[in-house]
Amino acid sequence: MAALDFVRHPTVRRIAQLGAGVIFLAAALPKIADLESFAGSIHNFHMDPVVPMALTNVLAVTIPWIELIAGLALIANVRPRAGAVVYTVLMTLFTVAVIAALARGLSFDCGCFGKSDAANLGAKKLLENVGMLALGVVAALERRG
Amino acid sequence: MDRWWSDGTERGGVLWGGVIAIVATGAFLGLFQNALVRAGDKDDGLAWKYEPPKLQTLEEVQAQAQANGGSTPTPAPAPADPNDPLQMPTNLAGVDIPDVGRPIEITIKTARGLVDSKGAAIIDAREAADYAAGHIPGAVNLPFDEVITDPARLEAFDPKGKPILVYCGGATCELSMKLGYELVRLGKKRVLVYTGGWPEWNDMKYPVVTGTSPEGA
Repeated sequence: MAALDFVRHPTVRRIAQLGAGVIFLAAALPKIADLESFAGSIHNFHMDPVVPMALTNVLAVTIPWIELIAGLALIANVRPRAGAVVYTVLMTLFTVAVIAALARGLSFDCGCFGKSDAANLGAKKLLENVGMLALGVVAALERRG
Repeated sequence: MDRWWSDGTERGGVLWGGVIAIVATGAFLGLFQNALVRAGDKDDGLAWKYEPPKLQTLEEVQAQAQANGGSTPTPAPAPADPNDPLQMPTNLAGVDIPDVGRPIEITIKTARGLVDSKGAAIIDAREAADYAAGHIPGAVNLPFDEVITDPARLEAFDPKGKPILVYCGGATCELSMKLGYELVRLGKKRVLVYTGGWPEWNDMKYPVVTGTSPEGA
């Protein structure tokens, strides 16, 4: 299949890896610099009791660093496939969280504004997440030969 | 395949080993950094157990100011019927609102008093469409999503020496709280967050106006 051959091309995969790595670095650094507001963002998803609220801060201190290491692995081409798997798994979890927030009518930032606004903001965010997820899948594809 | 750094051909056990190594290293560094920061000063970094954000209420702030030997706040005149929010004093000129360098949470009673006496500059942090459909009389519309990326608009907001009352669209509205913190950060004094917000005000059938201007169309 031509399409599959294209996404399996080493150059395409390398570009996807670099893109995913840059996304994770760009996501990780501001969060590490301001852990408190990241904890607030996690709280805004209101994931209790699936993710206990007491764990919010533990997630807030660990997730950005995992993103950072995975991003560095992807960019530096050191265990890039493992980095891509971490990226894809985390991105899947984030996307599920966005979908769950949308399903409950929460705006992903706070849930206090109108529902139409939540849908707008959420749909864009969701599309963004699906795109970034696809990038991760391409980056994680097995190398041929 | 036997090189530890691999070049993207890793699979099976090597791949999953790498995944576990990345997650473990990241988690360790995050926890280690936070522990290190907290060892220096307990107020820095994040507490291990998360507590939802909470503002001090005006009553708590006033009690604290009194306990610290500050000026004694003038108590608000007692309402005729304390159970009826409509019987609230309409002039809160005598109520002392201290500046504590952070937002203060107020109840519907205080909000009503400040609105009736025009004792506060009011910010409606909801979307423009919600604002036009109905808002508290005198409220200026500064939608959170717009002003949080454009602090100049917030900075330009002039309360004319009055306290600033912020509200938005929900009982658990965290945006008005965030906006309150942002206002304080920009140097605004006496920032009040009316956490009951629009739903509570509207349910009470308190005065509202519609349209795009503060005093109504």
